[in-house]
Amino acid sequence: MEEFTFHKTLPNITDGNLFSDTFERRDNPLDSHEHWQHRLGCRSWLYVRRNPSTGAVLKVVNLTSSNP
Amino acid sequence: MNQNAPLTQGTPDGSRLTGGPLTFTFDGKRYTGFLGDSASSALWRAGVRLFNRSIKYRRLRGFLALGPEDPNALLTVGEYPAWIPNVPASQVLITEGMVLRSQNRWPTLRWDLASMLLGPGASLWGAGFYYKTFIWPSWKTYEGLIRKLAGLGYAPAGSDLPNPKVEHPVADVVIAGGGPAGLAIARGVARSGARVILCEREPVLGGELEFEAAVIEGKPAPRWVQTTRDELSDLGVRVLTQTTVISANNGITIAHGQPAGLPGSDTLYRIHAPLFINAMGAVERSIAFINNDRPGVILSGAADRLLSRYGVLAGQRPVLFGNHDRLYDTARRLLQAGAQIQAIVDTRTDSQSPVRAELQGRGINCLSGFTVLRAQGHPRIKAVTVAHLNNPRSTQTIATDALLVSGGWSPAVYAGLQNGGVPRYSEPVAAFVAEGQPDWRLCAGAAAGHLALDDVLVDAQVTVDESVRRLNRTTASGSPWLVQQADAVPQLIAFWRSPASRHEEKQQFVDLQNDVTVADLRQALQEGFVDIEHIKRYTTLGVGTEQGRTGGTLGAAIIAELRTEPLAEVGISRSRGPFQPTPLMVISGTRLGFGLRPARLTALDQAHQQHAAEMELMSGWMRPRYYRGNGQDPFAASVVEATRVRATGGICDASTLGKIEIAGPDAAAFLDGLYLTPGSTLKIGRSRYAALLREDGIVLDDGLLLRLSSDRFVATTSTSHTAHVLAHLEFYKDTQWANQRISVTDVSEAWSVIVVAGPQSRQALVSTLGTSWQETLKDLTHMGHQSGTWRDYPLRLLRASFTGELAYELHCAPAIASSLWSELVAAGLAPFGLEALDVLRVEKGYLTSSELNGQTAPADVFASSMLKAMGQPVGKAMLNRPAFSDDNRPVLVGVRACDGKSAFLGGAQITRPESPAHSLGYVTSSVFSPQLKEWIGLALVARNQASLGTELLARDPIRGGDTPVRITGSVHFDPSHERIRV
Amino acid sequence: MRPPASRLLAPRYSALSLLRARLSREYWQPLWRRSTPQEHYDVVVVGGGGHGLATAYHLARDHGIKRIAVLEKKVIGYGNVGRNTTIVRSNYLLPENHYFYEDSLRRYETLSHDLNYNVMYSPRGVVDLANSDDEMVGLARRGNAMRLAGIDAELMDRQGLMKYAPVLDPTLPRRYPIVGGLVQKRGGTVRHDAVAWGYARAAAALGVDIIEHCEVTGLQTTAGIATAVETTRGPIKADRIVFAVAGHTGHIGAMLGVPLPVETHLLQAMVTEPIKPLLHTVLIYMYGHSEVYMAQSDRGGLVMGGTLDGFPSFAREPLWHRLEEVVQSAVAMLPQVAGIKILRHWAGTNDQTMDGSPLIDRLRYENVFLNGGWCYGGFKAIPASGAACARLVASGRAPDLIKGFNLSRFATGHVLDEKGAGPFPVRQ
Repeated sequence: MEEFTFHKTLPNITDGNLFSDTFERRDNPLDSHEHWQHRLGCRSWLYVRRNPSTGAVLKVVNLTSSNP
Repeated sequence: MNQNAPLTQGTPDGSRLTGGPLTFTFDGKRYTGFLGDSASSALWRAGVRLFNRSIKYRRLRGFLALGPEDPNALLTVGEYPAWIPNVPASQVLITEGMVLRSQNRWPTLRWDLASMLLGPGASLWGAGFYYKTFIWPSWKTYEGLIRKLAGLGYAPAGSDLPNPKVEHPVADVVIAGGGPAGLAIARGVARSGARVILCEREPVLGGELEFEAAVIEGKPAPRWVQTTRDELSDLGVRVLTQTTVISANNGITIAHGQPAGLPGSDTLYRIHAPLFINAMGAVERSIAFINNDRPGVILSGAADRLLSRYGVLAGQRPVLFGNHDRLYDTARRLLQAGAQIQAIVDTRTDSQSPVRAELQGRGINCLSGFTVLRAQGHPRIKAVTVAHLNNPRSTQTIATDALLVSGGWSPAVYAGLQNGGVPRYSEPVAAFVAEGQPDWRLCAGAAAGHLALDDVLVDAQVTVDESVRRLNRTTASGSPWLVQQADAVPQLIAFWRSPASRHEEKQQFVDLQNDVTVADLRQALQEGFVDIEHIKRYTTLGVGTEQGRTGGTLGAAIIAELRTEPLAEVGISRSRGPFQPTPLMVISGTRLGFGLRPARLTALDQAHQQHAAEMELMSGWMRPRYYRGNGQDPFAASVVEATRVRATGGICDASTLGKIEIAGPDAAAFLDGLYLTPGSTLKIGRSRYAALLREDGIVLDDGLLLRLSSDRFVATTSTSHTAHVLAHLEFYKDTQWANQRISVTDVSEAWSVIVVAGPQSRQALVSTLGTSWQETLKDLTHMGHQSGTWRDYPLRLLRASFTGELAYELHCAPAIASSLWSELVAAGLAPFGLEALDVLRVEKGYLTSSELNGQTAPADVFASSMLKAMGQPVGKAMLNRPAFSDDNRPVLVGVRACDGKSAFLGGAQITRPESPAHSLGYVTSSVFSPQLKEWIGLALVARNQASLGTELLARDPIRGGDTPVRITGSVHFDPSHERIRV
Repeated sequence: MRPPASRLLAPRYSALSLLRARLSREYWQPLWRRSTPQEHYDVVVVGGGGHGLATAYHLARDHGIKRIAVLEKKVIGYGNVGRNTTIVRSNYLLPENHYFYEDSLRRYETLSHDLNYNVMYSPRGVVDLANSDDEMVGLARRGNAMRLAGIDAELMDRQGLMKYAPVLDPTLPRRYPIVGGLVQKRGGTVRHDAVAWGYARAAAALGVDIIEHCEVTGLQTTAGIATAVETTRGPIKADRIVFAVAGHTGHIGAMLGVPLPVETHLLQAMVTEPIKPLLHTVLIYMYGHSEVYMAQSDRGGLVMGGTLDGFPSFAREPLWHRLEEVVQSAVAMLPQVAGIKILRHWAGTNDQTMDGSPLIDRLRYENVFLNGGWCYGGFKAIPASGAACARLVASGRAPDLIKGFNLSRFATGHVLDEKGAGPFPVRQ
């Protein structure tokens, strides 16, 4: 747990709107779209969907390994 | 018979009370005890009944329980200045010469001034008293005195405790609690081949089997415990005694090992195990009656343990009082040990216990349907008033020296209701159990509400099967445990408090540590505090060191009675971690003292020490602030060092600069998308001043961008921003540029950096680097760089300046850093520190994080030429917001005192002289310039007030006064930068 | 204008009334009435925490609004007002913040008298410690900004601290040395629960309906105007609606279909066993990305907290590794407490904004208002927030004190980024 660092939630991962990505949030107590970094490990960025009410991780995509 | 000798030496594992005598003192008086004695047992055996005073009414108290759940007997152990306060007397094992003190009394335990003064009025201090009083003239008037009366022991003045050991064991299952359930589960699970760790708080295993008259698998309890333990060790189970589980959450269990009940040789275990089993048992609880806090009123389980483990009788003439059949088992054991049982007061009208019949046959006074109304005697109990519940007015008095009470047991739900779990009321135990458990946790045995030994072991088998299933193992299914003999099934019928008048409810204690009485609970309800959490906060019920272990369920039950609602409706207050109070140093682990964070040292650290550097911690790095040979304080030394750099030259360790290599065919385009100044137009062998923006358009950091080849760049970052910049670049590499061919590598520690600055820097480098670098040195223009080797190690020579002088940065392999350094010193360049570097850069108007403070946009601090070259980096779009073109937006300027000599300091606020309360900005940095012989500064000042020559005020009321200053250009020295280009 | 005390309907606490209470055992009266929802209110305040109760109190007291309801999902004061570390101070850098928090601190100074309820304001001083001379410059900047605004602040060097807070012993060798500090002597602590109860009692006495166990589930609107809130106890009509729901602010955005600059994070607090008076001031010790703030409660426990747990959560289950970090920081600051024991730790859900400063503004509808985004500052803000928010609701115009806390500042760029940390609730 301590190896990973939460960076930010993004309201919508594909939304290229910088203002919205930077300043706007849509709290969803059941499904939060987040970016985390394995900062003390491989330094990959991960796209994580989590249920912030229970802490359950719903989905993880390793963004580094999905690169060419 | 010798009063001081233990009655028995035998205990389940035979390891207790094995030697002695030991001498120790309590409140200055000498006592003796035996090896293995706790402070409670040794003092009790010696006839001591008064241990402490309570926190609010300062009533005299003995102990109620034997365990950390005891609300009363908290002692201070050891000598000033390093004593330890609030140690449960039952947990500390005495040693020769140990010094113990009672707490919360002055001048002595018996004669306490505060209780004498407060005593008569104490009943006025009901729940919420403080909220309604001490309002006039103000709380401050009274607070000092009230604080002195509150608190328990005194904190030490210093601590010489050694760091705890930290272990990270790995297992499949960790079991908290080494009673019958924990032992059985450990054995069953281990037989499946799983790795098991078993933690037990006490020095001995067995839990209640320590005294329970049980026979399991044909063996008397002590032998069963011993053989099970032997088998556990054969199976490779790690058994940790004197080790309390303090936290468990989905894969990580934290346990605290503390021998002898005192900090000193602690171990913190961070156990990595996917399954946690709470077999922490149940906590016995009391019953509320008048003066139920009197010394000599103790839980019957404590009396059993006192006898079995320490050979001490709780009383010669005890009365037992409770609501279940276990009372008779306890009474029989006490009787066998020589006690003269005065009476057994059972609140139930009916008991089928054969032991009761036996005791009655032996002439013991067994009262059914009776209750204890009141404890008599002061300060310790001398008698009890009992009455039939159907006729409480008809009372009788029974003389006694100890009242052993039991209102049943409350399962250890505190370990089952954190991080998931739902409380459910269980009628047979008249308490709550934890249901709705997460997959990583199971509750078993008494902790799951099973009180009879048969049930406990059946539940253990169920838990074994479930654990094995969750671990995906096939069980080597053990035979079920057969219980041939055990203490009675309790047949408990809930009973919470004896009848009392409203007035007497003030003496019916529910939470003994915080002096919460039935009257307080009733008052809280009358005042509208109905919810259990509200009542907890209003009355302080269950907020003490034992966190409501003995009083929590009792309090909830009395609230239920007063609300005339079922206990199940009232619920219990939410429990919080840790499961047991834990010393700060244990939680800290190894991060104590200078171990708090590692200090990062550069490859030149030795050299700095040799040059008598004053080192300073900066963003985790130790860096030389100044060299003491140049002056006794940073100011004096910086003047000498900075002057010398401009006169001849100097060297400075800049290894802490961040260095990030960006490589790949798409690296240049990537940099164009992130850096203010594009990377693609940078020529190979050249470098450029560059800055990054945050997403919100604010400048994140500045540094240099070096192009090593067409597809390879190095970006330098300021020391404090390296982590953020690196993560920032990696984030965009993995997201927006996810399909591009780019790599981002932190090479900060692969390269040491020596700054060589000053008019003589080139000659010094020529002589140091040797002939192979001569041409390079001659040809290299400002911002050019060249890679090569020195003594076969990589060396990159960059001509760049943060001082305004002709200057170079040597980026080199750390292996050659100190050789290079000493050769440069030999060539006549003296080291200079950060303080001098700051002087030199402020003279030149170069920026650091003092100016790039996280609030400045590019246009606030950068020259317009740089802004014109700006591409479309991340963050730029946010700069179109109106705030960034506000007239009063602070911009970077230089400032100097109007009189050319007054000092002004960084952090001074800038105002117009005529409106001194309205800040226009502030001085970001100021130094005394040896070149200009005056104080100079950089400032961020409202654009519309920042024209050259404007006279303003640098206001510094917090350090002295105001200095009239005028706005200058931000480059104070050599504004045309001629010295750089020589 | 302050109304006379006689307007309080519940008994006024005095020595005489307490004595009478003790003699007559049925004397105790509820601090606030348990109300059932009426059909219609002038103002419905959603959230029975400090901000909601204070807003309702000021609406009734200062603006003479008669029919006010406070709707609370659970019981009043169960959220952050009862979970914080009780520190009050106004030592902020930015004018928008320091004027506002100073107004709040001044109100705290007299709150016990105003509410006739002892909230135990203890002006024991708040000390921000510095590890380096560079940090001292930063503290000087902040202290000077405060002094310009007429707020008390003192900068102390090692010697000064030695005298002011000898418990610190700044000469002790530490990994992060203590070189000085910024002291606000009027800062200190306030008994947190008493603030909720005191406001509830005073508001109820002014006729405010406090309705517990009433969760708002939706909003009814017509033509750009909200007309009623839907609740678990049926719809309640309202002319104006105020949301003051702290850690659930993000949900309100979702309910109204408005994205908000708010992310919900956990913030932990913890307390040690009670000890006799040791610490006579509030200490704040920051280094690297870590932090601890500590005060000793009147009962004797050392109350402390640190930074956010580090990712969005609504679970209120604190993480062990953040506890470790806060505790490590505490021992680094005061090594003599190494052997003192932590009794419990807990967490609150904080509505963190993208600049670290609060939001008090209209929200989507003409007659709907938001009071939230309190980040780390909610408790110390309560009195000012209640008064200013009430003015906004009553008059429709934001008073100067909270003009900067508008929602549009992110679009205009006029953010209030006190620490220059950027739009990240968790430090990067």
